[in-house]
Amino acid sequence: MTDTKTWARVKSPWVLHFNSGACNGCDIEIVALLTPKYDVERFGVKLEPSPRHADVLLVTGCVTQQCAERLKAIYEQMPQPKFVVAIGACACSGGVFEGNYNVVGGVDKVIPVTAYIPGCPPRPEAILDGVVKLLNALNPPKPKKQPKQAKAPEVAKPEAAVAQAAQGIVEEEKQVAK
Amino acid sequence: MIGLIKSTFGDKVQIQLGALGAAAITANNGLHRDVLKTMLAADEKTGITAITGLDLGAIIGVYYHIHTSNVFVTIKTEVTKENPKTQTIVDLHLGAAFHELEVADLLGVVFEGHPSPGHFVLSENWPEGIYPLRKDVKANEIKLVPTPASEEIQLPENKRLVKIIIGPQHPALLEPEKFAVTVDGETVTKVEPRIGYVHRGIEKAAESRGYMQDVYLMERICGICNSCHAYGFVGAVEKILKTQVPPRAEYLRVIALELNRLHSHLLTLGHACLEIGYETVFQYFWRDREPIMDLIELTSGNRVYSSLMTIGGVRRDLKDTDIPKIKTTLEELRAKLPFYRQIYENEPTLKLRMKNVGVLSKQDAINLSCVGPVARGSGYDVDVRKDEPYSAYAEMPFKEIVYTTGDTWARMNVRMDEVEESINIIEYAVDNLPKGPFRLELPRSVPAGEAIHRLEAPRGELFYYVRSNGTDMPDRVKVRTPTFANIPSFLKTAIGESIADVPANFVSLDPCFSCTDR
Repeated sequence: MTDTKTWARVKSPWVLHFNSGACNGCDIEIVALLTPKYDVERFGVKLEPSPRHADVLLVTGCVTQQCAERLKAIYEQMPQPKFVVAIGACACSGGVFEGNYNVVGGVDKVIPVTAYIPGCPPRPEAILDGVVKLLNALNPPKPKKQPKQAKAPEVAKPEAAVAQAAQGIVEEEKQVAK
Repeated sequence: MIGLIKSTFGDKVQIQLGALGAAAITANNGLHRDVLKTMLAADEKTGITAITGLDLGAIIGVYYHIHTSNVFVTIKTEVTKENPKTQTIVDLHLGAAFHELEVADLLGVVFEGHPSPGHFVLSENWPEGIYPLRKDVKANEIKLVPTPASEEIQLPENKRLVKIIIGPQHPALLEPEKFAVTVDGETVTKVEPRIGYVHRGIEKAAESRGYMQDVYLMERICGICNSCHAYGFVGAVEKILKTQVPPRAEYLRVIALELNRLHSHLLTLGHACLEIGYETVFQYFWRDREPIMDLIELTSGNRVYSSLMTIGGVRRDLKDTDIPKIKTTLEELRAKLPFYRQIYENEPTLKLRMKNVGVLSKQDAINLSCVGPVARGSGYDVDVRKDEPYSAYAEMPFKEIVYTTGDTWARMNVRMDEVEESINIIEYAVDNLPKGPFRLELPRSVPAGEAIHRLEAPRGELFYYVRSNGTDMPDRVKVRTPTFANIPSFLKTAIGESIADVPANFVSLDPCFSCTDR
């Protein structure tokens, strides 16, 4: 029965998108994910308008004072089990807006976060990678002749790939500067 | 116009030619209303672009940036901090209502006689008497007061009416904003906006960062029209520095700004279809937007935040080997346009949901100081690229698109035609790219001074005011974004129409709240 439940969860995660004060950069990249070039629906991911039907909450933005209460309310309305993915540098830590007077800074200051996808904004591929990694973490490949894993392994962050890409850009810039 | 003011008011006002537009007119508190009245009477296209509030020590400066059909002027007035009161100008010009609310919220200027005072960008539980843009307020010392239990929602007195709250989290909104729509049956009778959910205090943050850091901060006001924001700031700083950017840099900037416009318009044209439930066309538009994103990446190295603009030019040159790729991509997009035109012109679904929906008359567009495609869809021909060419736009061959019907359909078709014009501009710029350097080395600190910069962002006129005090950080940065100027038009056109038409009407403004709130 547990296996069936996990199977169902992994094959059709319904996601809810909430903008907690983002600049639209990450939001547009999330919408781009749903369109033909990236087509995240092939993994069964569907954008869902109501928090009561959603499994995964995708949060973008630096969490402004006005949005903090609302974000908490939305999280509480979601049924268990629920996962929160913080998308973009602002959602991960507050980004460039950290310390501003109307900004709480970072989604994890308000609600627990399952996975972080950094970037400003992260490329659609990075978001896709993060979502797939989250799904794999829910359904880890079962090791043979060993007792079942008690805990799901930590969700790996696609930071390494992004950092590598960022390194590439920096190097390119250096060349241009030369 | 300036001659008229000189002859009418004589010595009562000081006129400084060439500052902050064509001229800066300093008038005493109270007299500024008479100056504005004279201007409104002399030119029917006079309107308010922005109101800037400034903390100048013991006094608060209030600058009214006024556009007319041929000149742009700034009326300067001031109030004291002990008694920060001035009379509202909403009775003279309706388009000033939101601007006054913002200055009142952020600087504590009291506009006596304003029809709907109250918090506008700050939250309801904001502490009394603290105004974030005043210099003595430290960002980290503000403590919010708990929200009172009897929070907001006031039900309409007439029991026949129903109030529908849309937002802050709503399927039809990509961004968190709240609209309280009062309906009588299915007819909308009142719309009350509550913005500020995306207010991040960027204008205050800019005062504590260096000029180069501010370029990137300003870019992050909006993820869609990011190049425009970066250029708005850079342009104003370059005016204070009095520098001339090399021609190659100007051309590269035009290419970046137009690529920005292309992807923004394609995004909106698709999004409008999604709002009326026509998802197929939405998917088509977004499919064809991706090659443009690839071009932005090709020219700037990044998909969304191009970070191309910098003080003194651009950060990256265009390689000759990239030009064929740009041209073929644009050619492919151009070939697809007749198909989309035909959808917008012939598709019965689109016609039913967009024609004669949200009609805005030309006179209303002028009275509310609308900008961009919203104004041009109503026959009000404002386009900063034509009216006051900046960068290399004076050399670019393109048409100003104007439709006269003023409905949602016209506003979307302005964007459709502008897509083609943008393609023409980029092709011309790529073909005639001047040789030479693409960047100047400029000092990091900026001499004391102030400047404004206006440019045509995808959503309309974007306005920047930058004031420098001679250090390496700006004293004040003011941004007036196009959606801010266009929301009043939605509040007007939604009334009397069906509640079902609200999303289509609203999205035709191409609303962007991260810009509006900052």
